[in-house]
Amino acid sequence: MTNKKIDVLIIGAGPAGVAAGIGAKKQGAENVVVLERDWDLGGILQQCIHPGFGLRTFREELTGPEYMHRFIQEAHEAGVEFRTNTMVFQIETQPPLSKGRGTAYGGGVVPVKVWTMNKERGIECLEPGAIVLTMGCRERPLGAIRIPGSRPAGIYTAGTAQRFVNMEGYMPGKKAVILGSGDIGLIMARRMIWEGAEVEGVYEVMSWPGGLRRNIAQCLDDYGIPFHLQTTVTKIHGQDRLEGVTVAKVDEKMKPIEGTERFVECDTLLLAIGLIPENELSRMAGIEIHPVTGGPVVNDLLQTSNPAVFAAGNVVIVYDLVDNVSDEGLIAGTNAAKFAAGKLSPEQKRIPVKGGQNVRLFSPQFVTGESDTIIYMRVTHPIEQACKVTAEPGLYTQKLRYARPGEMNEARIKASMIKANPDLKEIVIDVLPL
Amino acid sequence: MSENLIEKKFICVSCPLGCGLTVVINDKQEVLSVTGNSCPRGAAYAKTEVKDPRRVFASTVRVKGGRLPVCPIRSKTPAPKNKLKEIAKAVAALNVKAPVKIGQVLIHNVCGTDVDIVASRDLS
Amino acid sequence: MNYDVIIIGSGVTGSAIARELSRYKLKIAVLDKASELPSGASRANSSMIHGGFDDEPGTVKSKFCVAGNKLWHKLKDELDVHLDECGSYVCAFNDKEAKHLEELLAQGKANGVPGVEIISGDKLREKEPKASVEIIAGLYAPEAAIINNFEAVNALIESAKINGAELFLETLVTGLLFDDEKNIRGVSTNKGEFLAPVVINAGGVHAGEIASWAGDTSFKIIPTKGEYFLLDRTTQGFIHSFLFSCPSKAGKGVTVLQTAEGNLMAGPTATEQEDPEDRSTTPEGLAEVLKGARRLVPDFPINLNITTFAGVRANTESGDFEISVLKNPRGFVNVAGIKSPGFTSAPAIAEHIAGLLKEELADRIKLTPNEKFIPTRKNIPRFLYLNMEERQELAKNDPAYAQIVCRCETVTEGQVLEAIRRGARTVTAVKMMTRAGTGRCQGGFCCPRVVEILSRELNIPLDEITRHGGESKLLVGKTKEFLLNK
Repeated sequence: MTNKKIDVLIIGAGPAGVAAGIGAKKQGAENVVVLERDWDLGGILQQCIHPGFGLRTFREELTGPEYMHRFIQEAHEAGVEFRTNTMVFQIETQPPLSKGRGTAYGGGVVPVKVWTMNKERGIECLEPGAIVLTMGCRERPLGAIRIPGSRPAGIYTAGTAQRFVNMEGYMPGKKAVILGSGDIGLIMARRMIWEGAEVEGVYEVMSWPGGLRRNIAQCLDDYGIPFHLQTTVTKIHGQDRLEGVTVAKVDEKMKPIEGTERFVECDTLLLAIGLIPENELSRMAGIEIHPVTGGPVVNDLLQTSNPAVFAAGNVVIVYDLVDNVSDEGLIAGTNAAKFAAGKLSPEQKRIPVKGGQNVRLFSPQFVTGESDTIIYMRVTHPIEQACKVTAEPGLYTQKLRYARPGEMNEARIKASMIKANPDLKEIVIDVLPL
Repeated sequence: MSENLIEKKFICVSCPLGCGLTVVINDKQEVLSVTGNSCPRGAAYAKTEVKDPRRVFASTVRVKGGRLPVCPIRSKTPAPKNKLKEIAKAVAALNVKAPVKIGQVLIHNVCGTDVDIVASRDLS
Repeated sequence: MNYDVIIIGSGVTGSAIARELSRYKLKIAVLDKASELPSGASRANSSMIHGGFDDEPGTVKSKFCVAGNKLWHKLKDELDVHLDECGSYVCAFNDKEAKHLEELLAQGKANGVPGVEIISGDKLREKEPKASVEIIAGLYAPEAAIINNFEAVNALIESAKINGAELFLETLVTGLLFDDEKNIRGVSTNKGEFLAPVVINAGGVHAGEIASWAGDTSFKIIPTKGEYFLLDRTTQGFIHSFLFSCPSKAGKGVTVLQTAEGNLMAGPTATEQEDPEDRSTTPEGLAEVLKGARRLVPDFPINLNITTFAGVRANTESGDFEISVLKNPRGFVNVAGIKSPGFTSAPAIAEHIAGLLKEELADRIKLTPNEKFIPTRKNIPRFLYLNMEERQELAKNDPAYAQIVCRCETVTEGQVLEAIRRGARTVTAVKMMTRAGTGRCQGGFCCPRVVEILSRELNIPLDEITRHGGESKLLVGKTKEFLLNK
């Protein structure tokens, strides 16, 4: 065990964390350590064994483990240190230091203490120069939607079922109903079929699908699995093992419509009802969390409300594509390394981004104009006609064939345009029909 | 439109965009036109989808002596859609020994499809 | 198998009686049909240690509630159980309810409840700023407390076991056995016969049926469902104690409280039903709870709900506890109808039962003090609540304490292993004993890990592990075999 000074400490070796490690090393940080609670690197992608990852980055569709394999190799070559079976369970921070205290931003001052545990190393306290939060996200549980009924065995989030099937080699059930049409649910529908189980149907309370169209095509339509929009599970039956669920159509207010109830026999209910950024540690670290995204408030350098703490990937905002997560990880790692080396100017601009029409959530929330940046966003309501994303005043316009809540949109902001407008007070993003 | 032309609709699965494709074919199953695609891959997909629909198959195989009891696998290239059930059974019947290397061919020419089944991760 | 006494049911009442009787040189068998404890109403309740002003003076309940409250304040240290001594408030919204507070105050004084007083709505809101502005007065009971009911029941039964009592889980009593004189000889179960001259019926919602086997039909249990919301622990401090609505004939009404672990909770309803085992929540029940919770706490943050659950209480027509030693058959004791304030009363009831055995059943059972009685018991270390030095020490001595299993509640593998050592065999048992799976992801993260650990430690296949015993298997076979055997 060495007690060398860690320049950049990264929490979580999923796609964001591994990319952050690469970014930090490439920026010249000497000691870059990525902590991972599992025995293996790669995070959730190790259980996402289906193809569909990395088309933009690698020009081919890889499976989750294949995608991570490439990044992990690159990180090893870059000299990133990984510590597996190591969990961060507490972060202590000093309050963000004011500019007046000189060295606070520049280096030397230790802003955070990170407590880790590992069976061999025991409980340790690390004091890195900067940290990057890359803990990813988690699935919304059953309790979040308050379905009445009993609490038998056989109810899983789709991701838990995916772990059982793909990592442990066990079947969670023989006949499944899937509630919610998030991508993991759709992927698991096909996965269950390929392992010989039945999937009775997928039920989505909204009038539009939660996941990508292509997953409805290749995971449901290919196998004749019925997809029911504006329908939800209203009751759970069974004492020991799940015996069935009641499903019902819902009205515009998402209330079940009387008389449309139907009993569906099944022994498994898989939930794909949304993902939430996992920010227990961020909260412990006293970082400002955005009430809508559920992730840290960040600027385009992916710096949080604590200047020594950066965040990237699904811990900030839940992305559709892993390519975006890796991109953001790289940015956060690069800037964390700059910060640790005292090379990040404290005199940054801080132009707030405002969500305008039909923008439900977005990230980052502030723009410095230090480099070109992408504002990622999701619309509130689907627009099934030609429309456009704009960033005002006059910073970006992009025409779209449609805009859907299940598919993220982007506004690309050029640093040169920010620099050219010294009086810029705020950036407003909208998604509007043409 | 002449009466022996058929219009078919697909969702393209080549990339996350998921374009809605409309394909016009004649009675010889020849593709006369593809619309709705945003890129050439969409047109290519539509043509294969009409004649010889294919999908990448991804699953796991049983492993002895590995860190995990199963190792993820995939078909190296897309396999005929109507053979997927058969391929699933062939893959299920297989037992391999650790260590497994990513890209290692586990089944050559699975079910006579000319497609190889390869490991999609390292497993020690 | 021969015993001196058999206790049917290991809820809080049965467990408290087992522990109390383990102060004597007795061979005790505790039988429970569940696979983990607590299972019935002792699992799903408000976890309240009541002040004791609710019960009319002269009722059996009133006597045991006040005495039980005192005992719990002592037991929490002996048994190493979380007890939050937070006090409680009954909230009055109008003059009629304010008048009712006066009656409760008088009742409390008659029952000997220490420190009860009526305070103004403003004073109440000073302590509980989220309480409704429409509350005009409150009855404050400083001795009221909130207990970790999972811990408490396990602590009682563990203490009994330390002192020689034997616990038999998944053991369903199917009938009583009588001797030639038609007196109690024991019980028959799905696991065979258990013999003893004294049988104590602490069968909860099933106590009426069990009593009828002894020919006692003097009371009837009315299964009464109570539904609850449990919220994320990030709600900690939203309120700090226990807010009651003004009680009515139907019960104590919906309450809002902070559990001993810091979760915000609301409930219960009181719906009578036929089926004693139906613990399903209902749209109507949950709507009623939400309405009641919002009346007390208008900003009740229901969006942070993590689970809903229901318990079935053993109400009786009289509304009072049914505690009796039958004259005929000899050897049968009822401890039935133990509904609210049952959890509070349990230790006092247990003392009373020991007295009853001495007085009324001396011919069948002899209570000789056990000089080796050990009153204390240590809980499984609670990593979440330890300071950093204690954590480091624990991890140094046992590396399993340097591995998190449940991230929401910061439960380590060491705790799970210790729970298994103490008898946990199901995922729910681990949950009851360690709180793994009680947090905001409700087991999404830790369930597969707990299943793995149970499988490894008990040396049984993953697909044999159950959620809560019986047919509640979590997995249905290995993937490839499943497909090939189809």
